[in-house]
Amino acid sequence: MTAGDFNPHILGFFCHWCCYAAADAAGVSRYQYPPNVRVIRVMCTGRIDLRFILEAFGCGADGVFTGG
Amino acid sequence: MVEAGRSPNIEILTSARLENLDGKPGRFTAIVHQEPRFIDDDKCTACGTCTMYCPMPVVDLFNERLDITRAPHIDYAQAVPTSYYIDARACLRINYETCNLCAQTCTAQAIDFSQKPRKLNLDIGAVVLAPGFGRIDPSVLKKYGYGRFHNVVTSMEFERLTCASGPTEGHVVRLSDREPLKKIAFLQCVGSRDEICGNGYCSSVCCMYAIKEASVAKEHDPDLEVVLFFMDIRTQGKGFDAARERAEEKYGLRVIRARIPRVDQVDGRLALTWTTDDGKSCSELFDMVVLSEGLSAPKDAEAIAEIAGIELNHYGFCKTCVDSPLVASRKGVYVAGAFQGPKDIPESVTQASGVAAMVSELLSEARNTQTVTLSYPEEDKAIESEGPRIGVFVCHCGSNIAGVVDINAVRDYAGTLPDVVFCRDTLYSCSQDALKGIASKIKGNRLNRVVIAACSPRTHEPLFQETLKSIGLNPALIEMANIRDQCSWVHSQEPEAATEKAKEIVRMAVAKARLLEPLEQTTVDVSPTALVIGGGAAGMTAALCIADQGFECLLVERSDKLGGNLRRLVWTMDGGEASEVLDNLIKRVDGHPLVCVMLEAQVEDVSGYVGNFTSSIVKAGQPVVVDHGVIVIATGGREYSPTSYQYGVNKRVVTQLELEKSLASGKGILKNIKNVVMIQCVGSRGEDMRHCSRLCCTQAIKNALKLKGIKPDIRIYCLYRDMRTYGFSEDLFKEARKRGVIFIRYEPDRRPEVIERDGRIKVRVFDRLLKDEIDISACLVVLSVGITPGANDVLANVLKAPLTPEGFFLEAHVKLRPVELASEGIYVCGLAHGPKPLDESIAQAKAAAAKAAIPLAKGKAQVASIVSRVDKAACIGCGICESLCPFNAIRLFRVNKRRKAETITASCKGCGICASHCPTLAISMGGFTDEAIMAQIHAFAGERCV
Amino acid sequence: MPEGKAKKSGAVMVLGGGIAGIQTTLDLADLGYYVYLVEKKASIGGVMARLDKTFPTNDCSL
Repeated sequence: MTAGDFNPHILGFFCHWCCYAAADAAGVSRYQYPPNVRVIRVMCTGRIDLRFILEAFGCGADGVFTGG
Repeated sequence: MVEAGRSPNIEILTSARLENLDGKPGRFTAIVHQEPRFIDDDKCTACGTCTMYCPMPVVDLFNERLDITRAPHIDYAQAVPTSYYIDARACLRINYETCNLCAQTCTAQAIDFSQKPRKLNLDIGAVVLAPGFGRIDPSVLKKYGYGRFHNVVTSMEFERLTCASGPTEGHVVRLSDREPLKKIAFLQCVGSRDEICGNGYCSSVCCMYAIKEASVAKEHDPDLEVVLFFMDIRTQGKGFDAARERAEEKYGLRVIRARIPRVDQVDGRLALTWTTDDGKSCSELFDMVVLSEGLSAPKDAEAIAEIAGIELNHYGFCKTCVDSPLVASRKGVYVAGAFQGPKDIPESVTQASGVAAMVSELLSEARNTQTVTLSYPEEDKAIESEGPRIGVFVCHCGSNIAGVVDINAVRDYAGTLPDVVFCRDTLYSCSQDALKGIASKIKGNRLNRVVIAACSPRTHEPLFQETLKSIGLNPALIEMANIRDQCSWVHSQEPEAATEKAKEIVRMAVAKARLLEPLEQTTVDVSPTALVIGGGAAGMTAALCIADQGFECLLVERSDKLGGNLRRLVWTMDGGEASEVLDNLIKRVDGHPLVCVMLEAQVEDVSGYVGNFTSSIVKAGQPVVVDHGVIVIATGGREYSPTSYQYGVNKRVVTQLELEKSLASGKGILKNIKNVVMIQCVGSRGEDMRHCSRLCCTQAIKNALKLKGIKPDIRIYCLYRDMRTYGFSEDLFKEARKRGVIFIRYEPDRRPEVIERDGRIKVRVFDRLLKDEIDISACLVVLSVGITPGANDVLANVLKAPLTPEGFFLEAHVKLRPVELASEGIYVCGLAHGPKPLDESIAQAKAAAAKAAIPLAKGKAQVASIVSRVDKAACIGCGICESLCPFNAIRLFRVNKRRKAETITASCKGCGICASHCPTLAISMGGFTDEAIMAQIHAFAGERCV
Repeated sequence: MPEGKAKKSGAVMVLGGGIAGIQTTLDLADLGYYVYLVEKKASIGGVMARLDKTFPTNDCSL
């Protein structure tokens, strides 16, 4: 597999107050980025339980992005 | 800001100006003239089609003329009101009756050329003036080449250049050829501290914002060389010095102490020439020069003053005095923000809250007479408890989503998802019409869970929650799928991938929606009393202000009398008698029926949460238990007590306050005194305490002028690092120089020394110009000692409130919530928050009183619904959650000898740290349960999940 | 209403929709008063809305 073929499936856990807001701001500014990430909004990254991350990998996520 | 747009009790009148003000405090009539927007706020969906089709370019004033927009436009994407407007000066339809393209292309039919200017008669009880500040006159900027050289820009222009949503999308380039920059200079004091242009004052904010802009520029391009030219570095704000030092170190900013007189252009680059304070003459070339322009009085200050009937000071700002900084010269008219004097955001926000308290004092009898409260139908529990019946609404958002994402495909896909019984696409789901349609579809189809696939829940969830509430559904039963901000807008070149992503986002939202449960909407009664801790100027002001708003107040003071540090002060900064201010405060406190004073008392224990605190106050060994709704911390600070400079050894070495006291008691101290040396920053700015004490520079100058007044031929030397006489205090600094006070700057690594020999004292200091140490013989050495925090750690422990590294109370947000602590219901003001002069303490005390009065005025505290809940049966009482909770919202208690955790819902902020760390999974988060998040994870994986 | 001793109004006018004006307005509304926020421009926010790093994330503002 070359780097060009790899199309990772990434799950993000975004803090409502900062990272999620930043992702919105990226939209407002029309920044373009690859459509590989899906986002679960949480009220704080403190909410993220290790089990969520393990479950995501268990379900086939290629990467997990926590942003807060 | 969005909040202001949503409140039913706030009416925003844009493109409007005050034309007349009649009446008296409590009963004014104002005439307001409002220009039409030509676009109906209610119908406009902010899609931007009008801007796209309009043929008339206009300069974008919002972006400092660095960009072009069209006649119909919006200032910025998140503007409030979130509605476009038409610039009447450029519009062809308005001026020539032609074109009309925008009206034809607006699908929402929001464009309305029939709008006319209107006059409104407003019946009001009070007026608050907050028109902000004006810009420095372009003629002042001209001498720095502004207007002649492309690459000389103002700091506001530079701010737009570094902004990601600005005209260059955040790329800092030379405006002449759009090439990247290599070397850039910031010139300070442009239009401030400048007699020639008439602005003798210091603008107070430019030093810090220049550092910020320089840091941002360095972040964009680490190879950029940045040079800042200062006279004095005035970063006296709370935490500012530390931030500046960090920035200088991290980004390698070069700081030069010089004032640049002019800018020349040489071979397309900009040449600066300067002389440093050790006498060296230098010259260098730069690619760009940023002029740190100061704040001037608003352009329409005179017009406002005339209409509102108030006086301006000699610089054209609103005139106020030290003991009532928020009061304009006409009764019932108040002032806040930069119009009162140049100031930074935290001080503006503080004054704004303070002024609200003053209005509230004046109008307390009329509270709640003109406000409306929204009422909602009873919740339909029967429908809610049925199995999930999900409705999905997919929004086109004009072309914002539909232009990229295949809406029909997403809608049809949603119909195939489990428990979805209804789906529909809408043109603009947030428009009033669409909301009505959504409500009727929910009712008609007995939907009990709703997914809105549109924009961000951050901005629009409250709107849709409101719709649910209006038809008797719990607002927690909605989930938004953000297919605009995080999908169509960021993948506009990949419509197919964006459509796939939108489908998956909807799938995840539906998976969560299936598990949504109603959340309790609870309110708690508020105990209508305030506890104010500390009886100094700030504490007394706060207590009186709360009482004048009609609420009981308990004022607790540790010592045997009221007054605090104000007792030691003789003169205020403007030369007034401090004792008058003090006596007046004490008299009012003693005479106020709603203020109860407890002297020689201390708060030993506090429990509870906003609205329902219970405290134990110990007086003469006896604890008294009181219930109260809010807490104001006003415990003050202390004069730093130095151990250096022969203080305490030689009685001719005194502090500024000691000097003040002896000056007041008689002129005896001045007998045989010819030379006085003042030493600044004793204890402050890295000597013993890290922070700048903010007020000592002005205090020293005040006393120097006092000395000169009594004995004009006295010689005064002032040894300083940066003279921080910010704002209008700069006038005093200027006066002191004129009267012959000699200022000598020293570097922190070469501090002055006090030497005693044969009963005489000398101060040894390194003279930068002579490049040698000089000895100044002194009859009196006056130390400008800083302000050190009181014993805040004890109270901080009781309140579980965080302190700054310096030991002052830490506010919830340094800029935007300067008087609130992170825990709700606790507020701070005065020296307990940080060093500041009397007028700022008073304004801050008023601000704390406003914030404290809000829960008291409401009578009920709304408890947030996204909170944690502990399953008592599963809880093992380990206490991990309690120790991790940043808001003290979890307490442990005993049930049959077993420890159990419990959420104090009123204090819970819903962060979920407790839930993610509970070893027995006993804690569940409202709206963000383990099950719901797991379901989202599984929906994310789709078929890949095994 | 008796002449001369008119009752006080529970409404307030705030002139200027910058950071100071907005904060005053929000606090007054929270304290139980009706507020007219009068702004010269077409949108509120004032200078602070134009500052990088505090904006455009509007929840970093108010």
